[in-house]
Amino acid sequence: MNIIKGFATTFKHLLEEPVTLQYPEQMKPFNPRYKGRHHLRRYENGLEKCIGCSLCAAACPADAIWVEAAENTDEERYSPGERYAKTYEINMLRCIFCGYCEDACPTQAIELGHEHQLSFTDRRDAIFTKEMLIDTPVGKAEGTPRQVEPGVYTRSIPDMPDAK
Amino acid sequence: MVKIVIDGKDYEVPAGANLVDAAKNAAGNDIPVFCYHPKMEPVGMCRMCIVELGMEEIDRETKQPVLDDKGQPKVRWMPKLQTACTQKVTPGMHVRTATKLVEDARQNVIEFLLTSHPLDCPICDKGGECPLQNLTMAHGPGGSRMVFNDKLKLDKHVPLGDLIYLDEERCIQCARCVRFQDEIVGDDVLAFHERGRSLQIITNSDPGFDTYFSGNTTDICPVGALTTADFRFGARPWELTEVPSICPHDAAGSNISLSTRLDRDAGGKAVIKRVMPRQNEYVNEIWISDKTRFGHHFTRSEDRLLHPMLRRGDTLAPTTWKDVFARVAGDLKAAGSDVAVIAGGAITNEDLWELKQLAAGLGSERLGTWTPTYGGADLVAKVGVGKGTNLKDLGKGDAVLVIASDLEEEVPMWRLRLKQAQDRGAYLVVANARHTRLEDFATQKERNGKPVSGATIRYNVGEAAHVMHELKTRYPEIAEKLAGATNLVIVAGAEGLTLDGSKALMQAAANFLISSGHVGKANNGLMSPLPGANGMGLHYMGFTPENTQHIMANPPKVLIVAQAEPGEDDPTAAAWLSKVETVITLSLFPDKTTHYATYALPIQSFAERDGTFVNGERRVQRFYTAQGPMGEALPAWKIVAGMREALGQAKPKVSAAAVMLEISNKVPAFAGCTYKDLAKVEKQFPDVGGADLYYGGTAYDNKGGLGVQIATSADAGETPAVADVTLPAVPKAKDGELLLLPTTRLYNRSHVFKPSVLVHPRVLLPYVELNEADAHKLGVQPGDVVEIAFGDDTVRVRAGINGTPAGVAVLPRELADKATPFLPTSGTIKKVTEPVLA
Ligand code: SF4
Ligand code: FES
Repeated sequence: MNIIKGFATTFKHLLEEPVTLQYPEQMKPFNPRYKGRHHLRRYENGLEKCIGCSLCAAACPADAIWVEAAENTDEERYSPGERYAKTYEINMLRCIFCGYCEDACPTQAIELGHEHQLSFTDRRDAIFTKEMLIDTPVGKAEGTPRQVEPGVYTRSIPDMPDAK
Repeated sequence: MVKIVIDGKDYEVPAGANLVDAAKNAAGNDIPVFCYHPKMEPVGMCRMCIVELGMEEIDRETKQPVLDDKGQPKVRWMPKLQTACTQKVTPGMHVRTATKLVEDARQNVIEFLLTSHPLDCPICDKGGECPLQNLTMAHGPGGSRMVFNDKLKLDKHVPLGDLIYLDEERCIQCARCVRFQDEIVGDDVLAFHERGRSLQIITNSDPGFDTYFSGNTTDICPVGALTTADFRFGARPWELTEVPSICPHDAAGSNISLSTRLDRDAGGKAVIKRVMPRQNEYVNEIWISDKTRFGHHFTRSEDRLLHPMLRRGDTLAPTTWKDVFARVAGDLKAAGSDVAVIAGGAITNEDLWELKQLAAGLGSERLGTWTPTYGGADLVAKVGVGKGTNLKDLGKGDAVLVIASDLEEEVPMWRLRLKQAQDRGAYLVVANARHTRLEDFATQKERNGKPVSGATIRYNVGEAAHVMHELKTRYPEIAEKLAGATNLVIVAGAEGLTLDGSKALMQAAANFLISSGHVGKANNGLMSPLPGANGMGLHYMGFTPENTQHIMANPPKVLIVAQAEPGEDDPTAAAWLSKVETVITLSLFPDKTTHYATYALPIQSFAERDGTFVNGERRVQRFYTAQGPMGEALPAWKIVAGMREALGQAKPKVSAAAVMLEISNKVPAFAGCTYKDLAKVEKQFPDVGGADLYYGGTAYDNKGGLGVQIATSADAGETPAVADVTLPAVPKAKDGELLLLPTTRLYNRSHVFKPSVLVHPRVLLPYVELNEADAHKLGVQPGDVVEIAFGDDTVRVRAGINGTPAGVAVLPRELADKATPFLPTSGTIKKVTEPVLA
């Protein structure tokens, strides 16, 4: 009796669609809150959101983030306000993708994206620099550094539409 | 002692103590403050310290406390809250610090202070060590009722001078900075401008914030309104590693903390990000001068000497340490005992000990100091300020004489503390041949509403010893007051003096102290602003200026120049250095001395190694390794030990600590000065750093050691005898010439200060100061370029006219890029018609 039950189950599944995905050609859609590798965001106008405050590094339980700050000038502006990140590095081998950095960030500059295929053949390659992390400016927006009119970007959290 | 009641508990506190201090010390009750600072007079401006205050009711007839029905004294509470910082404790005082009323009031004060605060802690250099942050967390309301966009917007980047930035939005108008400059320093260069909401800190000096102590305001500012340009966005405070250290620049030996962090620009190595004061109430309290704070960049300068160099023809070529040791050993053996050492004032005791051993092993005792200008270190060892001295204790009934020294420029920390001694009632006498900053204080009759007393003496250049020797006859009134003081400290420098003059002055000063009974006890005795951080160490190790004179006159076969720059300082250096067969320099920088060197050997700076200095008050103090070495540099003692090993004298010690252990066993003065002894700390008042940030500011508590003060022979019970003073000839100008008077400027172009680029705008262009009549005779206007000729040398500088004595031209050292005289010298000055600065 049991053997018939067993075969029946097997046959039933033979007729079903397979659940196996042909990864990496095929991929499941991500949960929007999935925490993959980080991105450094820009404002719509192309200025960097990161102000180099190092709070992400302080929040990071794995000590994976390294930030060094410097001062903006209107001749060479990276971010609004006075301060920007001169060095911004994340060691992806150390990172545990907990997203604490995202929580700590006062300007929502760092966000964990969906990219998760991180493999390296050298430890040094696992250190993502600012150039690797930062988004390209959207649309026609100019990148950074850039020269701006004096007295405009005086606040580190500016009144810009996408700054909440 | 009086009895007060805090939150229902009885405490015994010193009578007249400030309530905030008393509550903290006796009850461990931290009453929050912003404007109050334990080192300054209370002003009651911020209202953060409010408490409920009451007095026990006293029956007028019986003078006994009135008791309530429970038998407890009846307390009459004041109807309104009171500021604790403006209260002095009185018997029967009752204080409540934890009631709802007080808590609400504190909340309201914080909310009020934050009404227009920009809340930009993430980018603020104070963030993480900010009293406003801490007290808001502890006492503030959880949320804000303010609309962020309605906040007042002000300038966030106002340079107050070249070193300090003001963020107008963050200032809470506590006036700590203004009061520090005014009360403590006496350079009244900050002020409030406008009123109410528009009130701002401004600087009213030109150049802005013109003082040598500006950095301290950033430590005591309870918010991020004042920050230094040096540390601007350098790191977050919690990322820094604190390394205890000692200021390498002057005789004060200020205790500092080097805040280090790894840095990409430095190849990922640890570098000094900032220098902070480290509390040592005996030495620098919680203050440091701006030179101490901003003069650390030489430790990471690209210009440092990085490899051991060997002369090949006209150039120096890099070689290996092994090669150096072998060759040097050969040269030293060949020279036999015709070997001498000249060591600079910023070299450590460990280095000096190894050098001394090396010379002794070769049979030489020719150990000289650089520069050979200050005599009488032996007298400081005999009748120096007694063990346990703390300039902070000088006050009413005491007296201070500062002679032949411009302390503001030579040892700013002493000038600060002596000025404060005068504030507390000490009698301050300043004697010099020209005007100095300290003289301004000595002439004042009243300061900040309090009477102060002082006197000044002016003498002809070079006559300091004469004046000191004949003080009783020449200035009987002053001499009497000095001699009659409870405690007397004499600070004797060497400005305008030859070495003989300096020695005579020191002896005359010592005689005065001995004959008036001011030796062998704390807060009495002699001090000297010897150049460098280890002037007294040189003495204790047997290095003397007389030896240097002898070495200059009779150049040896092999001369080791250890962390000294005769080529930079002495216009006649070429004449005697070139007569030495082999010059070995232990140098931080390639300079005009390495020019004569057969071997130029790179040494580590104070930040790269462990070591000890002896300050002008004879306190042996220890500093620790903060950053990795530059290039192949080694600590000087290791280099010398390497030479000694190659000579077969001794095996090198394994560490600086081991060297110091040997010193403490062999040199009696250093007995009890092992690294362990030097690292001892004790509890100090006021509390700073750590959780007590809100109180004393961000100076660091002392974890590295308070040091050990070497006893004078007078302390040790020896009765010092008055000795004869041989008054030397006074330096005179030749006929028709002027007397060039070398002086010291704190900010100069020496190798150890030049890399601090930040301060460059404050370093004066090379100049000479003339008397009006002399300038008129020479046809020189202020600002003219003049050529000064002395000996076979000339230098071009700008002329200034500034009431110097007639026939005297003040020519500060280390400003021009050429050596100028370090002793008073006769010279001529003529105007250059085509003004080209050399
Ligand atoms: S700048 Fe700082 S110390 Fe000065 S008044 Fe403002 S808050 Fe106080
Ligand atoms: S009013 Fe007392 S601390 Fe400011």
